[in-house]
Amino acid sequence: MNTPVITSESYAHRIWRHLQADSYARNGIRIMILLFFVAALAPLLANSHAIVRVADGCVTFPAFESLDPIEWRFLFYVPLGALVCVCRHHFMSHPGRSASVLVGLVVLIELFIALYHPINDPSNDRDRPAEFKLMTPIPFSPTETTADQFSPPSWKHLCGTDSTGRDIASRMLHGARISLSVGFVSQGIALLIGIFFGSVAGYYRGWTDIGLSRFIEIIDCFPTLLLILVVVNFTGSKNNIFCIMAVIGLTSWTGIARLVRGEFLRLSALPFTLSAEALGATDFRIIIRHLLPNSLGPILVVGTFGVASAILMESSLSFLGFGIQAPTPSWGDILSEARRYIDFAWWLAFFPGLAILITIMSYNFVGEGLRDAVDPRMKVK
Amino acid sequence: MTTYIIRRVLLIFPTLFGITLLTFVLLRYSPINPLQAKLAGGENGGRAMTAEVREQIIKLYGLDKPAIVAYGDWIGKIVRLDLGESIIDHRPVADKIGERVGLTVSINACSLILSYLIAIPLGVIAAIKRGQVIDRSISFVVFVLYSIPSFAAALLLILYVAGGDYLNLLPMYGINSINASTMGTLPWLWDRIQHMILPVICLTYASLAYISRYARVSMLDALGQDFVRTARAKGLSERLVIMRHAFRNALIPIITIFALALPGLIGSSIIIESIFSLPGMGQLTFQSLDAGDTPVIMGVTLFAAVLTLLSYLAADILYVIVDPRISYE
Repeated sequence: MNTPVITSESYAHRIWRHLQADSYARNGIRIMILLFFVAALAPLLANSHAIVRVADGCVTFPAFESLDPIEWRFLFYVPLGALVCVCRHHFMSHPGRSASVLVGLVVLIELFIALYHPINDPSNDRDRPAEFKLMTPIPFSPTETTADQFSPPSWKHLCGTDSTGRDIASRMLHGARISLSVGFVSQGIALLIGIFFGSVAGYYRGWTDIGLSRFIEIIDCFPTLLLILVVVNFTGSKNNIFCIMAVIGLTSWTGIARLVRGEFLRLSALPFTLSAEALGATDFRIIIRHLLPNSLGPILVVGTFGVASAILMESSLSFLGFGIQAPTPSWGDILSEARRYIDFAWWLAFFPGLAILITIMSYNFVGEGLRDAVDPRMKVK
Repeated sequence: MTTYIIRRVLLIFPTLFGITLLTFVLLRYSPINPLQAKLAGGENGGRAMTAEVREQIIKLYGLDKPAIVAYGDWIGKIVRLDLGESIIDHRPVADKIGERVGLTVSINACSLILSYLIAIPLGVIAAIKRGQVIDRSISFVVFVLYSIPSFAAALLLILYVAGGDYLNLLPMYGINSINASTMGTLPWLWDRIQHMILPVICLTYASLAYISRYARVSMLDALGQDFVRTARAKGLSERLVIMRHAFRNALIPIITIFALALPGLIGSSIIIESIFSLPGMGQLTFQSLDAGDTPVIMGVTLFAAVLTLLSYLAADILYVIVDPRISYE
């Protein structure tokens, strides 16, 4: 006798399959992953110090010696995150053991960072004699000034140099970290606020909903860029990356809140919510365990578009001179320098503009693919 | 419909109240509030505030009074369109906004009209040729355009077509040539148009994406309706079916989305006007932010928010007027 095999596919798997079938979204994801690793490994891709240097019989790793705590965290946590993603099935099947392994790794990493003292060495290893040295692909640091001012793109400086002879390719690789971290952190903040207000308004309805909807409408009436500029200017938090992230997050949650409210209004009228209520589940439990997981798809869609617009917002702020502090490389900052020398230094505008274009495009394509994937009207082949 | 419109109009008042309250709170409880400033000079976006300016701001916003009283007084002034005066040149903020708003509105109106004129045919063609090469290439191109940051586009356009080492077709910045005042009407107009081309292009290309997508969805929706099938069944030519029956119905939702475009346009105006040195609202905003001119910043913020609110209202009302089938009961 044959037992019928019921194959069921998880929601996440179905969305993933749909994304893989969409060529734009598939390439978007590839570019996203690539950018992520470029950002994480920037000091190993563009640095004035050698990765490995053998001189006078001793082997040193100068590029690692100058890393600051944040850069170490990027280096450790991104591969760790990737590892968790790759081995997620293994981790899921042994939750207890893998949690302790992860905690142990995090403690080890933090301990290492706490005990580590970066050496600040302004010199470079390019011309320093050595028996063997392995330089990074781009042998310049992002803030290192050289004598080649305004050199157009060449084999030495792939994307040219700026007014103080800093290498644009190196600045762009390091600038990717600012863009991506601002994009993700600010969007995380926006998601938290948006989901909170949206779920409360959508679940409790009535006056709560009317009040919160007015509030959302009020925030919506302020053009986001203007609101951010005013807040950044008024709080005097100019140039602090965490403030920039917070301000972008605090001003761009309204779309998410509207969406979550709509989803919750729809879902809370469905029988599964009623039955959860009948079983005596608390409001909190219904919201977190029943309604939220069912609206995750659309939330993911707006979140993806949101990262793109946050990245654009950060580069607009840096471009206008309200962004990250000057020597820290950021795409918008290179563009704002381009503005002063626009009559001849085309490479200052072209390369960072292209980087922003590609990043935003990949996020928008993935967002678009996700929208099709979670739309119940679209048939999944 | 009348009841709906009245209700919708009444609904703007709580929002209006909220907008003024938020603007006021933003100023009163921020670190540059002269009463809370730590330094004697006060910290104002990195700039020192003189004692005189400090007094003026305290007086204007009643910062020495209790919050509620100060807010009430401030609202009283706003209702009389008294937004205080600039701390840079001591001119009334309302005047400063008034003389610059025309340019910004005309540029944005040009760009909105232009994007509608380009985006709607694109969206309609994409809908008719759904899933075909032409549909996919339209959405790809429009998407790429949408992802180009407007300031990078502006810089590259200046570089390649305005002065510089390449083509020298259009003026680089400003709203008129230096000798504009000596020109006759027609040459003056031509000169103005030449100066407007690049800013309008920069503001237009990004909104193409969502207007054309919206048009496409709306058109697809209309094409799937029963009346289109009826029109086809009675033997009308495909052109008539599309133009008379589907397109006219698809147009209804599209015309109201200008309101959604407005906040984005105001934001882009700040960037574009400062790149092209156009003396509009955006440049005023940027200059006053840079100089820490609090009364102007407050005035501009309030003005932009109220303008957006009114455009949302206009869109909602327009929506019921153009489509009598919609009822809100």
